This record gives sequence, structure tokens and C-alpha cells, in this order.
Amino acid sequence: MTLRVKDLKVYYQTLRGDVHALDGVSFDLADGEIMGLAGESGCGKTTLGKSLIRLDGRMRHVGGTIELNGAEVPITDERAMNPLRYHEISLIPQYAMSALNPTRKIGRMINELLRARGVRPSKVADELRRRLELVGLDPDVLNRFPIELSGGMKQRVVMVMATLLDPSLLIADEATSALDVSTQRSVAESMVEFRDRGFVKSMIFVTHDISLVYQMADTVMVMYAGQVAEKGPASTIINDPQHPYTKMLIGALPEVGSTTTEARLEGIPGTPPGLLKPPTGCRFKERCPIASEECDETPPLVEIDTGHWAACWKTGR
Amino acid sequence: MSNVAGAPGADAATPAEPVAERGRSEILHFAGRNPKLLIGAGVVLTLLLTGLIGPLFVDHGPNEYIGPKNQPPSGEYWLGTTSFGQDIWAQFVYGLRSTFMIGALGGGIAFLLGTTIGFLAGYKGGIVDEILNLITNVVLVLPTLVVLIVAVSYLQVEGLLVQGLFIGLTSWPWAARAVRSQALTLANRDYVDLARLSGRRTWRIITSEIAPNMSSYLMMSFILLFGGAILIAAGLDFIGLGPAGGVSLGLMLESSMQWSALQLGLWWWFIPPGAGITAIVGSMYILNVGLDEVFNPKLREL
Repeated sequence: MTLRVKDLKVYYQTLRGDVHALDGVSFDLADGEIMGLAGESGCGKTTLGKSLIRLDGRMRHVGGTIELNGAEVPITDERAMNPLRYHEISLIPQYAMSALNPTRKIGRMINELLRARGVRPSKVADELRRRLELVGLDPDVLNRFPIELSGGMKQRVVMVMATLLDPSLLIADEATSALDVSTQRSVAESMVEFRDRGFVKSMIFVTHDISLVYQMADTVMVMYAGQVAEKGPASTIINDPQHPYTKMLIGALPEVGSTTTEARLEGIPGTPPGLLKPPTGCRFKERCPIASEECDETPPLVEIDTGHWAACWKTGR
Repeated sequence: MSNVAGAPGADAATPAEPVAERGRSEILHFAGRNPKLLIGAGVVLTLLLTGLIGPLFVDHGPNEYIGPKNQPPSGEYWLGTTSFGQDIWAQFVYGLRSTFMIGALGGGIAFLLGTTIGFLAGYKGGIVDEILNLITNVVLVLPTLVVLIVAVSYLQVEGLLVQGLFIGLTSWPWAARAVRSQALTLANRDYVDLARLSGRRTWRIITSEIAPNMSSYLMMSFILLFGGAILIAAGLDFIGLGPAGGVSLGLMLESSMQWSALQLGLWWWFIPPGAGITAIVGSMYILNVGLDEVFNPKLREL
């Protein structure tokens, strides 16, 4: 088991109180697993991704543990986290397009980053070149300034940079969202290839784009209002979702071949609850078509099938 | 995407030079065509060289009484003599030297203090920012000139070093505020966030990620502080609080006023130092505008 997250709670501190961005998130990630993390905006996807590598000033770790390869990740201890970063846990940030300093050449920037992590740049120079070629970049980009690269090229540079030290876990936060569809595909393919070649052990792929997740991910985890709604193999989640939220989320996707005359696409009526004072019980009950009294109790996340977890009172039976 | 995956024989060593060269020659191209920069730099450099080299050709001290009194400029005494028979050319070149010294010293100290405090406050934020901002604001509202006058007259300042130190310690706050506000916006840039994520030290992040992105701004601050220090020093000298027994453009002005050079029509006594100060500070400001136009692509004229 590579990663085991147990009952993770991370709140944002505000003047009006704590925002419960992650409220008891538990899941496992196996070796070699690519997990797609889907959900609406504000459901805690990015917060989860960040919590695994660096809490920023406003984030407060309230409870829960993170285990990586059997050892606990000291997420609250900035200093103790430092050796883990890039070596064990790495992140392709949401803003990969602007993650490169405009006044530095890319090669110089990568070298500085390596030195900060205690690695001599000359040691990995050949590997760096090989990997750049692998994602379709000329090693010549190392002598260029970020402004000379296109968005997709920058994205791939950041990707190579994030995986250069062979981390166990790579978090890709909306890594393809700002790209056009064809570039998206090639970036997603290189990510899968990186996993296949063992550059990264496992990967969490945060995205809105469920169709992309279906293509590249082994498993999908759907989050709703700071909690896990459902997690299972990608094909099961897409073709046979159990949680009503997942059903409606998949139902809101257009299908190839269907025409608009047959059926209008259904959205999900209503909005997610505010997380400043989250509702008691199941957080989806306000928008759920099959909610009943029992939903006033918080449903536990139970394994309804092998490797298929859901948090809903209606799926247990 | 012009690159092919796994293209053989890709050699990355050669293209390094053209990029760097292009960047440098682009700046030179715009620098060579900017009259403000050329004029400003020309005047400043000429005066600096005069101050550096001139004293080597003067074989007597600037305050020695060597010649006839009240002589207008002539072949022997290029800028004439004072009513005590001092050589004004000698005073002028030595004065230039000390004027540049005080600018570098006072401006340099103020620049170091101001940028350090500004960067720390802007980058760290929170309580560090609060405290540093408080200090900055307190020093900012001090009636600097009065404090300087009091300090300088009580402490019996002799010599440039102490004067430069005093000027540096009192003139940094606006630089700190300006740098702080710039650092504040740059600290939230994504690449700074990534650097933070990679566990780099605060100081490395400031010097390698933030400062290079505001280098022209820093240059400008330094020039303005440099010119400001010269003016403050001249003001102090002029009201008689300069280094005793020394020589500077401000002290020359002071003694010419004290001995009624204006009323006696000894124009060669007060015009050179006055014009010198004006030329240095004025051309530095012009140089500053020129530099800004060269480094800021938005202000460039093709």
C-alpha cells in the first residue's frame, strides 16, 4: 500500500469560523495506481492535494493521519516535510503554466530546485535530458526562458521537474485543465507512461474532466462537500455508479451518439452546502432525489464491493 | 511542437550563447539609442572621473592658502581663488570626490536597509510585516532634517563616514515601503509558491525569485537614494554641520556665503559647487528615467 489517508480533517481559518474543507477523508492508494479525483468546484479536491504536500498559512490540520509506504507523513511539521518533498511526494501545481520564474532560464531553475533538495544537478543531468525527450521536448529548452515556450511545453517541463527525483506519489492538480484537447491528451499519455516506466509509483489526478479520468485513471474518487462520496475502479464509477451524487454527476455528461431530441442533459439542481457550518448528516441530502430520514445521520464510507467504496445509506443494501 | 521525441544527436550545449547574447544586445541596442540614458550617464561619468582623477594632478591641499586673493579664473588657477587665496579648482575636484562618496555611502546604507526591510516585510507578511511596517512608519514621520541637525551637532561629527551613516540611517523608509509593496505582489506569484513548496530558504527565494523580477525598480531606488543622500549632505554642509576641516561641494557653498562671495561678485566661488551638485543629481535623475525606458519593454520606443 503506497498511501493511506485516514479521517483527514483540514480546515481553513477565517474570521467567521473554520471552513471545513476536508472533513474526514479516508482512502487508500495502491502501488502503481492512478486515481482520478473528481467533484465540483469547492468540494476539497485541491485542498486534499495540497494537504498531502504542504499546508499553507491558512490551512489547519485538525485530525487524521497520512501514511506513505508505512511511515507517517509529518504534514504539520514544515521542516520535517522538506526531505519528503520531490523525493517522496511531488506536486504538479494547478498553475503549472505560470510556475516558472520569467527571469530564469529553465535549466538554471531546475538546477536550483535540485540543489535545494540536496541533489547535485550533474548527477541527474542525463536523466533530465532523457525525460524531456520522452515527453517530446528538445533538451534545448533548458537554455530558454519560460516566455519562449508554449503553454503545453511549460506544462511538460513542470511535469518533468516534478517527477525528476522519482517520487512515490505525484499529485497532479488540474494539470491538463488549461490545455487544448490534443495537448491534454499528450500530457495525460505521458503521465501514464511515467507511471508505467516507474518514474512515479502512484498518482492522484485532480480534475473536473471525467472523460479524461476515464481514459487514464485506474480508480476514481468522487468528493462532495469535503467528504468522499464514492471511490472505485474507473469503469465501475462511470458505468455503474452507486452513490446518487456520482449518478447525477455522470448523468450530467453528454454521451457520444445521443441527440438532444431524445433527452435533455440533466444537471444537478441546487448548490453544494457552505462549508463554514456544514449541515449535519449526509451532506448531499438537500439535493438528493432519494433522501429520507435516515440521511440525517452521517453515512459511513463502506466497501460495497471489492475496492468499491461509497458513503450512502441507500447503497449498503 | 517542433521537437520529436527521442531525436538523436540533440546537442544542447551550443544554443546557450545566442540566447544570452540576444538578450544582452537587445538591451545595448535600446541603451545606445536612448538620449536620456546617454546624456545622464555621460555627465555623471565625466564628473565622477573628474573627482577621481582630478585630485591626482593637484599638488597642494584643497584648503591651503597658496595664491593671490580673489583671483578670477585664469590659466594658473582654472576656477580662480577664494578671498583667502585657496585654489577653487582643487576644492572642486576634492569636493566632487567626497560628494560621490557621501552619495555611495549614504545611499548605499539606505538602500541596503530599505530593501532588506522591504523584502522581509513584503515576503514574510503577518507579524513580521506589522513590526517592520511600524518601524518604517515611525522613521518615516521623524522630522529627519531636525534629527540630523541635532544628532550631527551634538555628536561633533568629523568626517564623511559618520555623516554618510547618519544619512543612510534616516533616509531608508520610503525605499522600504516601495520595495515592500512590490515584494508583496511578487510574493504571491505562482513560481514563488512553487519555490516555497520545494523547501528553499527564505533568503534564496527573495534573491533568486523575487529580486530579479524587480531589478529595474531596485536600480531606480538606489539612484534616487544616491541623489537624495547628496542633497541632504549638501544641505547639512551648507548650514555648517559638515565635516570640519574637510572639503565638499556643500562646504564650498557655505564658506562662499559666509564670506559674502555673492555680494562681492566672486561668482567663480559659488557657481562651480552649485552647478556641480545640480549636475550630479539632475543627470542622475535623467539617467534613471533613461534606464527605466531601456529595461521596461513597455516604455521602449522603437
